[in-house]
Amino acid sequence: MSTSNSSNSSAALVALSNDLANVVERAGQGVLAIHARHRVPSSGIHWQKGVAVAAEHTIKRDEEIQISVPDGRTVPATLAGRDPGTDIAVLKFDAGDLTPPDISDSSSLRIGHLVLAVSRSEGNHLGASFGAISAVGGTWRTWRGGQLDQFLRLDLAIYIGFSGSALVNAQGQVVGLNTSGLARGMAMAIPASTVNRVTKELLEKGHVSRGFLGIGMQPVILPAAVRERLKLASETGALLISVEPDGPAAQAGLMLGDVLLALDGQAIRDTDDIQAHLGSEKVGKQVSASILRGGALTQASIRIGERPRRGR
Amino acid sequence: MILQMNGDSAARFDEALSAVGEKLRRSTVQVFDGRRGAGSGVIWRADGWIVTNAHVVSGGSARIRFADGRTLEADIIARAAERDIAALYVAASDLPAAEIGASTAVRVGEIVLAAGSPFGVRGAVSAGVLHAVGPVPRVGKQRWLQADLELAPGNSGGPLADASGRVIGINSMIAMGLGLAIPSHEVEQFLRRAMRRREAA
Repeated sequence: MSTSNSSNSSAALVALSNDLANVVERAGQGVLAIHARHRVPSSGIHWQKGVAVAAEHTIKRDEEIQISVPDGRTVPATLAGRDPGTDIAVLKFDAGDLTPPDISDSSSLRIGHLVLAVSRSEGNHLGASFGAISAVGGTWRTWRGGQLDQFLRLDLAIYIGFSGSALVNAQGQVVGLNTSGLARGMAMAIPASTVNRVTKELLEKGHVSRGFLGIGMQPVILPAAVRERLKLASETGALLISVEPDGPAAQAGLMLGDVLLALDGQAIRDTDDIQAHLGSEKVGKQVSASILRGGALTQASIRIGERPRRGR
Repeated sequence: MILQMNGDSAARFDEALSAVGEKLRRSTVQVFDGRRGAGSGVIWRADGWIVTNAHVVSGGSARIRFADGRTLEADIIARAAERDIAALYVAASDLPAAEIGASTAVRVGEIVLAAGSPFGVRGAVSAGVLHAVGPVPRVGKQRWLQADLELAPGNSGGPLADASGRVIGINSMIAMGLGLAIPSHEVEQFLRRAMRRREAA
């Protein structure tokens, strides 16, 4: 085969290759290296002018954090706040003339879409990993208690500096913050809308609040006779095994030994079901609780409190 | 700037990948050094010069098996263990040499292909993207083309090529999941020295 022949047939591949390199170069202008742990840095994204987002689990210290930016400088950064629940940390730094990358909503991503993870590593070098979206789901409660607006699983290789790197779509837009810290090392992305929501709250308050009932629970199987008599649909409920004095639940009259069956009409089958009612937006709101007490159904109205913050 | 992958472009992409893979396969050889297993090598010049890794020919001899099935004994002209590179010479004049690319002009994110004999499977091609260029933490200060693609032991000494099938590096090792390749411009420098040595001899 002659050279001209082979260059003709490779044209589609060369075009795609150039597109990918362009996408990396463009998005890379918004990708940072975050020096907040021992040895190798993690990555971060220039999310708003002077505001960087990173994977919370890679931010091992609260002070003496530095950021390497695309123009070659390494500048000091201050931690604005962290939310372990969604694995997002927000930092402030002097962005100079840098502008944030083109950030877009991730809701149009479909399984099979080509994506890149763009990182920045030691020596201020860009790193790229190429793959596809392997799973897309609705809202997802993380195992650390936060909520992601969308579940995005990635089929691409994880290299050093992956966590905090940018998920970049084929149009070159940043659509999420990558992390391997939310699901046992699996490559996934925190969608842009969740990063926006958490960043706003961290910049305003320095932390993400969570709802709080002041109860300890254990799932229990409801006796068949009781279920039949009271016409209960679910087979399990949450038994209160501790009630914090003066906590929101105690103030609403809940007692040790009560079995929580539903909140706002939604069945509580185990303790995980409670989490959906304890998002930051629920703090201060009234919620109606259906309770099984002494073999009878009763109702209570609980005003959701804010979970006390543990000292860091 | 914008990727447009409709059904048609996916098909053209597929076609291009197989054409480039075929081109690369022809200039890739298997290298046996008398021990178990085989490494790979790249026909760098049609007049008999083949490049591989030093560790592929640590047995001291080298028998070359070409893509068309021919086998020839090669002389090991130069071997640099510290950079893991070796220059071999076979008495031939019309070998299907690789087209050599410019490793100094590569870009992060561009498509790269590797050919070789991973696990002894002859003529295997894998594709990915260039992850980064430069030293690798904990691997030393040498510069590497770091590729985000699947490699296996038999890929050692084989080509890393760009999207047109031009060889930009020699695959040498796998570190932290990345395929590390010696940049082609370093290979050229090394080969020039080896050629002078052979002329002098």
